Amino acid sequence: MAGKNCVAIAGDTRFGVRNQTVALDSNRIFKINNRTLFGMTGLNTDILTLRESFKFQMNLYNLEEEREISPKTFAHNVAQTLYSKRFGPYFITPIIAGLEGEDYTPFLCATDLIGAMEFPKSFVVAGTGEESLMGVCETFYKENMEPEELFEVVSQCLLAAVDRDALSGWGSVVHVLTKDGITTKRLRTRKD
Amino acid sequence: MFTLGSVLDNDFKSTIEDFSFETEFSTNQLMLPNIEKPFEFAQSIIGLEKDLQENENQLMFHQQKKEERKERALIKGYKGTTTLAFIYEKGTVVAVDSRATSGQYIASQSVQKVVPVNEYMLGTLAGGAADCQFFLAHLGRICNLYELRNNEKISVAAASKLLNNILYSYRNYGLSVGSMICGYDTRGPQLYYIDSDGSRLKNSLFSVGSGSPFAYGVLDAGYRWDLSKEEALDLGRRAICAATFKDSYSGGTVKVYHIDENGWVKISDDDASELWYRYEEKEKKKK
Repeated sequence: MAGKNCVAIAGDTRFGVRNQTVALDSNRIFKINNRTLFGMTGLNTDILTLRESFKFQMNLYNLEEEREISPKTFAHNVAQTLYSKRFGPYFITPIIAGLEGEDYTPFLCATDLIGAMEFPKSFVVAGTGEESLMGVCETFYKENMEPEELFEVVSQCLLAAVDRDALSGWGSVVHVLTKDGITTKRLRTRKD
Repeated sequence: MFTLGSVLDNDFKSTIEDFSFETEFSTNQLMLPNIEKPFEFAQSIIGLEKDLQENENQLMFHQQKKEERKERALIKGYKGTTTLAFIYEKGTVVAVDSRATSGQYIASQSVQKVVPVNEYMLGTLAGGAADCQFFLAHLGRICNLYELRNNEKISVAAASKLLNNILYSYRNYGLSVGSMICGYDTRGPQLYYIDSDGSRLKNSLFSVGSGSPFAYGVLDAGYRWDLSKEEALDLGRRAICAATFKDSYSGGTVKVYHIDENGWVKISDDDASELWYRYEEKEKKKK
């Protein structure tokens, strides 16, 4: 979700196989650089593979370009990587959130599994509980929220949506990205 | 499609002199739809919500082979629940969760999965909620009539046998019932598992539902005949709590009941997640 010169990404930390919960600490939100956060949902093996793949690509970019990648460029990179597997896709739904440019304008991007990009101004959702998330974010979202308020809203949205989805929960993490840095907090979620 | 009208009419007609066991407890009291081949139609409409989508397609492809359709009709799962019950020296313990899911959407966190049959017998709900609720309530009426006619309390074995016979006559109609009849009678604490396939099993402990493998783990490890009352209640509570933690389709609140010679009593009703955090803290303190 986007606020005033800040963005927040939140996600649950459950890893499960059909109905069984296997792990409570699978992190799916990764920091690309100080300006960009990248979250993925979907098939766990593809999440792990793409994490390594993008880490490699970003390291190479830093060495060649001698600068940090901007969120918009990274989003296009993600879309291109996903489309390269158009006929044997990675089964993930990525979300990119970052702060663009000198004046730290919030940037949000969501793509589908083959790289169709969307740049909404308010919020992006993904996962098994995305329909609940969409509804609850729509209700609580306001423009130009300060970081503290943004954190509250994002946390409440995630908790509410996760409590209505059987396959989500068992721990959650919220990252808030401002020009001063990234704040990470873990929320107490339902473990049933 | 199914109405209660014919059921009530039947009971109203029979008088005390005209006590015919056949008509009183006769099966096929539920009305069937007034169409050709009602049996096949009933098979294609399976009770569980999430199968309805598949069944609409089934009706379109009615040319498909009977075997295929029969196999699809028999595919049903007691999804989205964990219930358990066990008997021990001092009585019967029944513990249930309270979540209902339709697919992965949590439809409700506050479902009553224990239905009282009479003051000393409880039935648990697993599978199709409407099926279980109706047949357990019907069983309650039959038991009440038996008590009035014979001037003695019906035994758990007899009550479960009555339900079993009724359900057997509706075998393959697509009912989904995975109920446990738990009670205390002259023979002591009793526990029977009744299925809509027509099985009736007697044992000292059962767990039914999608979370039952996880509950069995805790239950089997801690079960003994000579448990104290507090230990037994705690065992039931822990087993359901473990199942709600591990199984995504179980959750909500953990309800624990106890049945002894004085009847059934609801012991506790705790939020499943809060209970888990409490057990975690206790473990940390021990270390």
